[in-house]
This record gives sequence, C-alpha cells and structure tokens, in this order.
Amino acid sequence: MKKWIKALPIVALLFMTVVAQAEEKPKVIRIGGGGNSLKIPAASGASGWVNDQGLLEKEFAKDGIKIERTYYTAMGPGQNEAIASGLIDFGSAGDLVTVVGRAGGLPYKIISTSGAGGSNIYIQVNPASGIKSLKDLKGKRIGYQKGTYLHLAFNRVLEAVGLTEKDIRGVNLVNADAQAALATNSVDAIVSSSDRPLVDQGVATLLFDTRKYPQFKSGPGSIFVTEAFANKYPEITKRVLKTLLKGYYWASKPENQEAIIQSSVKLGGTYKHIKADLIGALPPKERYDPTVTPKVLKDYQEIIDFAFKRGIIRRHYNVSELFDLRFQAPVLKELGYDKYWVH
Amino acid sequence: MSKRKLTILVLGALLIGNANLRAAETAETEPRQQPVSDSTAVPFGSEDLSEKDTSEAGGNVSQAELDGVRAEIATLRDQLTQRLDKTIANSKRSLSISGSTQTRYSVSTSPNKNGFLFNSAILSLKGYLKRDYEEGKSISYTLGLGSNTSYNLQPTDAYLQYSIGQSLDIDKPYLNVNIGQQKKNFGLEATTTEDKQPAINLAQFASKLGLSARDIGIRFYGDLFPVVDLGYNYRIPLIEYSLGLYNGSGPNTADTNQDKDIEGRIVINAPAGYYSPYRGLALGGSFYRGKQDLYKGTTLITKGEGEAKKIRYGTDLSYVSAPFGFTAEYVIGKDEKALSGLTLANAVRATTESKGYTVTLFYEWGEQFYKNSRNQSRNDDWWPTTFQPFLRYDHWDPDTAVASNESNITTLGFNVFFAETTKFQLNYSISDDKAVNLKQNTFAAQFQFGF
Repeated sequence: MKKWIKALPIVALLFMTVVAQAEEKPKVIRIGGGGNSLKIPAASGASGWVNDQGLLEKEFAKDGIKIERTYYTAMGPGQNEAIASGLIDFGSAGDLVTVVGRAGGLPYKIISTSGAGGSNIYIQVNPASGIKSLKDLKGKRIGYQKGTYLHLAFNRVLEAVGLTEKDIRGVNLVNADAQAALATNSVDAIVSSSDRPLVDQGVATLLFDTRKYPQFKSGPGSIFVTEAFANKYPEITKRVLKTLLKGYYWASKPENQEAIIQSSVKLGGTYKHIKADLIGALPPKERYDPTVTPKVLKDYQEIIDFAFKRGIIRRHYNVSELFDLRFQAPVLKELGYDKYWVH
Repeated sequence: MSKRKLTILVLGALLIGNANLRAAETAETEPRQQPVSDSTAVPFGSEDLSEKDTSEAGGNVSQAELDGVRAEIATLRDQLTQRLDKTIANSKRSLSISGSTQTRYSVSTSPNKNGFLFNSAILSLKGYLKRDYEEGKSISYTLGLGSNTSYNLQPTDAYLQYSIGQSLDIDKPYLNVNIGQQKKNFGLEATTTEDKQPAINLAQFASKLGLSARDIGIRFYGDLFPVVDLGYNYRIPLIEYSLGLYNGSGPNTADTNQDKDIEGRIVINAPAGYYSPYRGLALGGSFYRGKQDLYKGTTLITKGEGEAKKIRYGTDLSYVSAPFGFTAEYVIGKDEKALSGLTLANAVRATTESKGYTVTLFYEWGEQFYKNSRNQSRNDDWWPTTFQPFLRYDHWDPDTAVASNESNITTLGFNVFFAETTKFQLNYSISDDKAVNLKQNTFAAQFQFGF
C-alpha cells in the first residue's frame, strides 16, 4: 500500500504527460501583428527574424498545424478588433492598447513582453509658435493620435510639468496629417514617433524627446494570447512562446542590430531616423529582454492607474487580470534564457 | 494632407536642392552629443529644452557617391516632370474620383419575362475646397452624375459640406451642414449606402413615399455625447440628429412653390464600447412635412403650386453587430388629395394614409464588415471574401382605408463580397400585390461594382 502511495506522484505525472500529449491540436494558429507603411506583409526585429527563418512553421509542421499571420495597418487597435471578432489567437501590441482592450473586457492575456526597451516619443514645434519649454505648451494646439502609446506618454510628460490634457488644445491627428498640420502652421506642435522629416527640413524644431528623458518612454510592448486558446491549448501556447522568445534572444545580440535596422528600413522606416532613435537606448540585451519582471507588472499597473485617472479607460482593474504567467518562466528555463536574462 | 502629398513634399524638398546634404556634411564637423542611458538621465524640469536635433547621419560619403546621388535625383526629377506634363491629370483642388455600376439579370413569372439590365451607373467626384487642420472645420464638395434605367445622365449629388463644429477630436460632438442637392435623411432603408444594403431593391415604401429621392436644400446634422473606445478607434455617439429644409420638388428641379419641406431625424445609439453585446443597437425616429401638388386621381389641380399636405413619420430599430444584423422600419405617409372639383377653390380634399414596414435579418461569414480586417499589410489584391445570406419581409399598404390592397414581398438573398468594391447578389422574391391581384416570383442576379 505504502509503495502504491509513493508511486502516486509518478503516476500523476505520467497521467499529466499523457493528457498533455493527448491535448487537442488546432488546425491553424492565427498570429496578428502590426502592419507597416508600405503595406508589405512582414515584420521586423525579433518577430521578423522568427518569420524569415520559418521557425513557427518548422515547429508545428510535424503536427500538421498551419501558421497564419495577419498584419494590421491599424496596429494595436486593429488586433483588438480581430481579438473581439475571434479572428486571431496571438498578437503583439503596445502597452496602452492592451490595457484599454482588457479594460473593455477583451478575453486575452499578456504572456510575455516584446522587450523592455519601450518606444521614444518626440515633440516637434513650429518655430513661429513661440514654444521654448514644455510649460509653453499650455493653451497651444498640439496634434497627436489618441489611443496610442504617444497619447499615454505625452500625458505623462504634461503631468511632469504640472499640466494636463485639459490645459492644451489637443488635436487628434494620425502621424501623416500631424506632420502636414505642423508644416502648414495649423498646429503649434505635434507628438510623434521616430519619423520626423520636418526637423530635418528645418520646418520644425525638436522641443523634447525621450532619448534624453527615458523615464517617459512607453512601457514594454506585449505578446498576448486569447484566454480561450491558452486554456484549450496550453502546450501549443507554450511552444509558440518558446519559438517567439528565440527571436528575442537573436535580436538581443549586438551583432544582429544592423540586420534589425535593415529589416525596419525595408518596411518603410528611414535608416537615419531608426539609427537616431537608438541614441540613449538600452543595450540590445536589455532592450530585447522579454521577461515579465515585477517591475514590468508594476509599470503596467501604473499604466492602468494612469489611464483610469485620465479617463482613457472606464474600468479600473488589477494588473494580474492582464497577465498570464503560467508560460514564460518554464519556457525561459527550458531555453536556458533564465541564465541569460538574469533578474 | 494625404501620405502621397507628404511624400511629394519630401521628394520635392530633396529635388529642390542639396541643402540637407550640405547640412549633413557640416554636422560631421560638429561635436556629437553623447548618448544618454537610463542611469544618466537628465533631470526633468521646465527649463528651456529647445535645441538642435541630435540625430546622426551615419558614415562619410565620398564626392563621387554624392555626385551619383545628385545625378539620380536629377533623372528622377526629369521623369517626374515629364509625367506630370503628359500623363497625369490635374485638378485645382483635391479630387477623389469614384463610381459604381449595377448590372442585373432577372427572371420573373406572371408575366413571364427575363432580361439583362444595366440599371445604374454613378460617377462621383469629391474633394476638399478648404482644409482646416486645426479643428477640422473643412469645406468639401461632392458632385455625382448618375444614370438609371432611363439611361439619362443627370446630376445626383451636388452639394457643399461644411464642418461647423470641430471634426478632429473624437471625444467631442460633430456638427455639419450640407447645402445643395442631396439625399434626404429619413429612416434606414432610404439612407443606407448601397454596399450595406443586403437586398437589390429598396423596400417599397422608400420609393412610393419618395424617401429615396434626392432634393435641393440645406441639411444640418451632427451628434452628441460620443462614446469613444480608444482600444479599437471606435466612436459611437449617444445621439445623432439631422434637420433639413428642402424645396420638396425633387432632384434637378427648381422650386415649384413658396413652401419648404422640413425633415428631421434622431437616432439613439447604445452607448457601448466595441466589445459590448450592445454595440450596434440603435433606435431611430424620422419625420418629413411638406407640400406637394394637389391631384384628383391623375389630374393635376394646383398646376405646380404645391398646395397639398405631405407628411411622413417613421421609426426604426437596428442591431448590426457583425456577423449578425437585424433591421426593422415602420413608416406612415399622409398625402392630401382631391376627391372632387377641378380648381383649387372648389376642390374637396381628403387625406390618404399609407403605411409600410420591412424587417431584415442577415448573417455574415467573412471579414468584409470588420473595419480593421479590411486594412492589412498585403502586397496582393487580397480582400476578405464574405458571404451574406439574408431574409427580408417588405409590406406596403398604399391606402389604409381600403381593404386588401397591400403588396407583400418576401426576399431570400445571398450576397458575395469578393473584392473591395464588388459584390454579387442573388435575390429570390415572392411577391403578392393584392391591389392588382398579381402574384409573381422573381429571381435576380446582380453585380454591383465600383472603383
């Protein structure tokens, strides 16, 4: 009898293994991502490398599972709509988008970050506006796209100098329209990502950018999966994440940085600006660290708090609702990356 | 400004001169700013932060390489100039050209007839006359030319649109005005754009009561209390409203009387976020009141002066949340007519009340109606092929005081959206017009395509 009890854990383990092996398999894994300005169906950086190498296809070929990728030009909001409509299983987006999506009830969870680097924001001003400091933004016409990481980061910058969005005249403009509006003096300043030809042309001057104040960069981006998929196919979810993290490991190597830049250029970026955007950036190993650390969770909770306080989301919630931590730690350990990205 | 124009602006800046290249050469001689890491972040404050861009241009460029780039730019400039002169159409203001055509084959019983029909062709020109980037108080124009089964080309839309209120901030309400010949804004059936109309034919009341006809006038429309779900770029106002004043004489016709017809509509939308089961739920109400010529039967009494009352009331309920859709609309019409007399003075008048209603159910397989799914990074002519079966019941009673004169049409249909501006429609209709004791079944297949 005692021997039988002692063997129970082994039997249970074997049973779990059998269950895991018997896990139902999807016919297709649908992966969403952000599109690009040239409308080329491809990604850059870590995801781009995984795609180019066909790592997901190779991983799941033996199971007869097809990989289906969709690149949404509306970026994060596009993927949110796809999740809401049941069109994708996995996706990757910025910090605010997933925070807003989850606040609205979207049934997905973040299973990894897409690197700890975050994204820069730039505030360009019309020289005729008389804006010399961030405080001078008060009462001015500022163009930026709401609902994006630019919106969130700009709010934080304003708050740091004692202003809020109500103190400025915010104009909701997508990047191309914002550039045109600044050039025609229709707005006094714009908040943009790395693309800033107007500064190069002497039309605008750079008032502020987060390369010098990295505390205002966006938070880490996210890799998410629908709750339904993760619960139905936990082993498949783990294998997808494992494959994607190989991409982050590759992207974290200094010798691959030029290849990453070149892949971004092919998708519509400007070489000069991509290089310039890296000034002050974290070293590659830290920049592409996907680990969900307590700091990442704290950052996301702050984003939730801030977004709720500013009325960007209408429901406040705990960050634990947004993350599913079942998968990443075992995967990092299996790959040996827990010894590479040590926390 | 569109991305294309911005690209031309940037290209133009490159073509105008090599000032930037020279600036880059100069920048190389200036001391480079050291990168700043997290640990050495500059203390944050409100000090003067204006300064030159710190971006770096990369490695040195030789004179030969620079000459090569200049030569390439000069060649590109010449090619562009030649194309602009010879093969690229110009307009004084921004211009977007679009159009749509319908080609149909139908078979009907009682009487037996069949044939091909090219039943509609519309060319539409749109653009901005004045673009306001600050608040979006822009002025735009729309000019449409259309031909129907009579094959006469006539103006359809011809109006100016001005955004009276701001139109850039999605958190705030919108207010616009249209001036000119335009569609009236009554109910769902007569105003829903063709790409969202499941059935080939409009409900009977839309044409019988003149709701789908355009008119000349002025219409104010806007919304209040918008709900914005930033996670999806989704905006839905709690209230939408419209108030119009028209000649009431129909399209391409001068006013025939001193009175103006007035029309109003209000829609209450469920103030729900995108991922809410209530998204797409709306309740609407419409009215139209005006004057029309007085007739006794088919005899015109008022000779174009417009003396008979014309009133329309309608209410509609819709729940359109892909992949499921339901719409219902109920309309009452009141038209004054002469029972006897041949002059305005001795005419004995009576009001005819008519009513119509329609109920439509549809379902979709495919992503045609998901906004963001249509906008993907693809390098082919991909489009989310979508299949949409639907069922519609359409009732029309031209005079509620007369028994057994209704007309009922039940339509079973199947739409296939297989390209961005093209759909193929199959409709099978069973109709029963009791007024003329005519029952017939009709099968129609139609391509609706545009550019």
